[in-house]
Amino acid sequence: MNLIETATAATFDTLVLHADGPVAVEFMSYGCVHCRAIEPIVQEVARSIADRERVLRVNVAVEGDLAAAYRVRVTPTFVMFLGGNEVGRAEGPQPQVASVTAAVTNPFALAAVR
Amino acid sequence: MQPAAPLPILLYNGECAVCIRVAAWVRASEPGTPVIDVRPIGDDPEAIAQLHPGLDIWDAYETVHLLMPDGSMKTGGAAVAEVLRRLPNTRWSSGLLNAHVGGIRPAAALVDLGYNVLADVRPLLGCASCGSTNAAVRSVHETLDWLGRTLRAERRALVPPFRSASRHVPRLKQKTPV
Repeated sequence: MNLIETATAATFDTLVLHADGPVAVEFMSYGCVHCRAIEPIVQEVARSIADRERVLRVNVAVEGDLAAAYRVRVTPTFVMFLGGNEVGRAEGPQPQVASVTAAVTNPFALAAVR
Repeated sequence: MQPAAPLPILLYNGECAVCIRVAAWVRASEPGTPVIDVRPIGDDPEAIAQLHPGLDIWDAYETVHLLMPDGSMKTGGAAVAEVLRRLPNTRWSSGLLNAHVGGIRPAAALVDLGYNVLADVRPLLGCASCGSTNAAVRSVHETLDWLGRTLRAERRALVPPFRSASRHVPRLKQKTPV
């Protein structure tokens, strides 16, 4: 089951910037081999943290303006948002559960400490 | 009037320069009534799943797919061979591609090999989304690149000296310190 909803330019504000809790956004494209390699890991991580954090995706092949607005240079890039602000990002994490989990959760833990 | 028979659908990676050129060649090779419906894979997983229930958008980007009107699916070299069998300009190859020698089909195997080599070198030919090519291909490419640079340097060294000496090189003006 796909747990990761796709955000578009039309829904980005509602789903990401005005979201209640922490949101991790994966900027990806279906033609990117690295995104393919990491996809099952991202699904697994999204499932394991679903109770405290939401994972969304933005397809940069369609949403080029969003990718440019958030200075996405490579795919996959994870950008973490809290209260409408970027609190961290990770470019091309290793396709391992621990690596992706750390990438999408650590920035929120750090933001909570600050 | 009978409705037109459904065409095989050739799905190609619209983010890959090599695939775009191949798709353009296929389109150009059917000047009359199209025999193949050539489409970019696009970005909608649901639209791809609707084309064929067994097809996932990630798989579609992994290798070339030809969706046959009977519901079957050909991939990789088999898809390329089927396209060659159907295009008017390459239909002649059909017999060759189907010919068996000692239990194998040599021409079909060669097409398969050719497809796999091309798929491997796509990143070197302008497909940023196709990942990094494998180490063997990369080392061949680097060797050829080195050879090209060396030959160019050798050629420059062989140019007679009077040629460069005959050029007028203007003296640069001294910059005025601020």
